[in-house]
Amino acid sequence: MKKVLETRLSFGAEGAEKLVELYRTHVGNYPKFFKMDPLCRLGFIASEILLNQENPRKYDCEDRAIVLFNRSASLADDSEYQKTIRDPEDYYPSPAVFVYTLPNIVTGEIAIRNKYYGETSFYVTEERDDDLIVRTAALSFLDPAITSVLAGWLECPDPEHYEADLFILEK
Amino acid sequence: MDMEELILELKNKILEALKLEDMTPEDIDEDAPLFKDGLGLDSIDALELMLLLEKNYGIKLKSPAEGKEIFRSVRTMAGYVAENRVK
Repeated sequence: MKKVLETRLSFGAEGAEKLVELYRTHVGNYPKFFKMDPLCRLGFIASEILLNQENPRKYDCEDRAIVLFNRSASLADDSEYQKTIRDPEDYYPSPAVFVYTLPNIVTGEIAIRNKYYGETSFYVTEERDDDLIVRTAALSFLDPAITSVLAGWLECPDPEHYEADLFILEK
Repeated sequence: MDMEELILELKNKILEALKLEDMTPEDIDEDAPLFKDGLGLDSIDALELMLLLEKNYGIKLKSPAEGKEIFRSVRTMAGYVAENRVK
């Protein structure tokens, strides 16, 4: 078992703009990106940069799992959704914001983008523990169909803090 | 507000509500279908359009099914807004 590729992104308040910039320079032609919440945008861009290093890039397969971790779950989007419902006089709950109020949506976005059909999971832990991330990702290999895992840490507690550290773990 | 102004206003509100950041009002053909072949919107977008009507024009639709005809194009939306708006 070995880590074969890694990507690390870390942004502060400039993160929202940076992610759009990275989308335009490294991805493009995927309008759904603009509908994503900050956590999904971060995960999507980090995974794109990671996977662009693969040669050939894996696509439409059943042997890759996705296992991600963070501390704040979907807090950035939860807060945004809360803004749409906190005022009884201005109560317009947004369906498009609501659909991102779960952290594991980002694993789905990555799986959809790449047509990965392996297991996906998202864990929320109090502190980052890189050893735990690798050990948990490695559990995916208990399924004999899985040969690699896109795994790592993906934290975005609010639109001013972004931290992604993704890697590919091979059997 | 005449119909052309309302159409332009709706286009801008649609771009903002549906986060179509890569598009401008000129990119939207007011007679093209909003769903499937046109802008390629999905079911969540339909709910956002319902919210847009309620929030901006005080129009409350009972279900997405009711919106099927209204949301056929920006022009049909504008026609419905012009006739039914309460704000």
